[in-house]
Amino acid sequence: MASRYDRAITVFSPDGHLFQVEYAQEAVKKGSTAVGIRGTDIVVLGVEKKSVAKLQDERTVRKICALDDHVCMAFAGLTADARAVVNRARVECQSHKLTVEDPVTVEYITRFIAALKQKYTQSNGRRPFGISALIVGFDDDGIPRLYQTDPSGTYHAWKANAIGRSAKTVREFLEKNYTEDAIANDNEAVKLAIRALLEVVQSGGKNIQLAIIRRNQPLKMFSAKEIELQVTEIEKEKEEAEKKKSKKIA
Amino acid sequence: MAATFFGEVVKAPCRAGTEEEEEDEEERRETPEDREVRRQLARKREVRLFRRQTKTSLEVALLEKYPCSKFIIAIGNNAVAFLSSFVMNSGVWEEVGCAKLWNEWCRTTDTTHLSPAEAFCVFYHLKSNPSRTQCPEQLGRQVRQMRCRAGEVFLCQCTCYVAEDQQYQWLEKVFGSCPRKNMQVTILTCRHVTDYKTSESTSSLHSPFLKALKTQNFKEPPCCSLLEQPNIAHDLPAAVLSYCQVWGIPAVLYLCYTDVMKLDLVTVEAFKPILSSRSWKGLVKNIPQSTEILKRLMTTNEIQSNIYT
Repeated sequence: MASRYDRAITVFSPDGHLFQVEYAQEAVKKGSTAVGIRGTDIVVLGVEKKSVAKLQDERTVRKICALDDHVCMAFAGLTADARAVVNRARVECQSHKLTVEDPVTVEYITRFIAALKQKYTQSNGRRPFGISALIVGFDDDGIPRLYQTDPSGTYHAWKANAIGRSAKTVREFLEKNYTEDAIANDNEAVKLAIRALLEVVQSGGKNIQLAIIRRNQPLKMFSAKEIELQVTEIEKEKEEAEKKKSKKIA
Repeated sequence: MAATFFGEVVKAPCRAGTEEEEEDEEERRETPEDREVRRQLARKREVRLFRRQTKTSLEVALLEKYPCSKFIIAIGNNAVAFLSSFVMNSGVWEEVGCAKLWNEWCRTTDTTHLSPAEAFCVFYHLKSNPSRTQCPEQLGRQVRQMRCRAGEVFLCQCTCYVAEDQQYQWLEKVFGSCPRKNMQVTILTCRHVTDYKTSESTSSLHSPFLKALKTQNFKEPPCCSLLEQPNIAHDLPAAVLSYCQVWGIPAVLYLCYTDVMKLDLVTVEAFKPILSSRSWKGLVKNIPQSTEILKRLMTTNEIQSNIYT
């Protein structure tokens, strides 16, 4: 049945599926994992770095992009679609600032991106964007925000979420481990993001990229050294926890 | 022939059969050139077994030459990587044959250094066990000695696509015309999760996951749930399983449904439950070492694609 209703984006199947939109969600799963965490005074975006070819300039392979000084986004899926969406969002951020003399709220720019994606699910001759995005930032009121959009054009606020390959595994980890203690301070929130990624990332810390935004501060990208330090700390804590466990059993 | 109202003569179809149909049939009859092309195509599509080291072809069926009690076939790059890391990482494995085939979708490679990302079909048998002195106790409980006797285990690593018309040839050349029934066949392969038919939405499925399909004579409980209807096995794994069912050979197919068909650590590790099955006890190796070998395989074989990030 799918083959008769999956060629055109604007055609519903008899049981109500828009197959092209669902197939676009499969394209998202082909991208590497990205995780977003909303802390008390911090928002964290962690991504699995794609391995770069020998002759490729690593700086040009980016999964975390700043949309404005106070908003940034990580995506998973088709690279070119992400570039198109990021460019439109950046223009919209500046246009908004020029028009109303205020920076965009995180919810506004998320709604803009979601509306753009939804438009492409209802137009003839176009296809949906094959990306999901995690958008984080702080509003003027100082409240941290995390939103997720998907190819269908829906968007929701989250406390923590993951997209891309193995997102389900990471989400389950977050559901078990996202507690008030886990986000008690900024460092703990960062560690939670790294721990979530380590569940699915091959070859550990050197394949992780991390970005944070603190209240009234610009986006900060963690260096490889800083990430390695966090990973070492996490591994030490894991060992100590295991030692305690084995002592208890004994 | 018929004439229309306007006087034009048109060719009308006739069930009785006319002279013109005989003429058409003559045109459709094969010419010698057609026969020659067909012969050459059949020759090109032949499945040949040979030894890569000596470049000599193998005339006898592999399992007739190397009888075994366990025959493990890994089809697809993830299944092949699983065998390479978890089964072939200790003991001495001798390459005893290689299948060379061509079809519209793949041509097997001739390179000496094979990687799971290339198309090949190679057969190994266990030449010798690691001795007790090679596995000292200080390696810890994780190292288990291989309890299988040399020659008991036969492996096939196949990453090439075997077309429908080549599958029977492959089976005959590997199993022989009268295969032994006192061996157990295990087939490992992967399939994309979107091929899995279920009433649930695929987004709610926890992929990768394993499903099993077995022959009537396979009595051991499989290490995962059975494949539900209306899902079916495809291609070479289905051909091997059907062959084993017809000949009464105990066989089980472990099918891993995954959303990443390329070489992927999480997909390869989804096969791990098989290591706990009774018939694989002697094949379980040093698992931490296996994980390291797997990671190395991943990094050396990662295909750089910029389409998805």
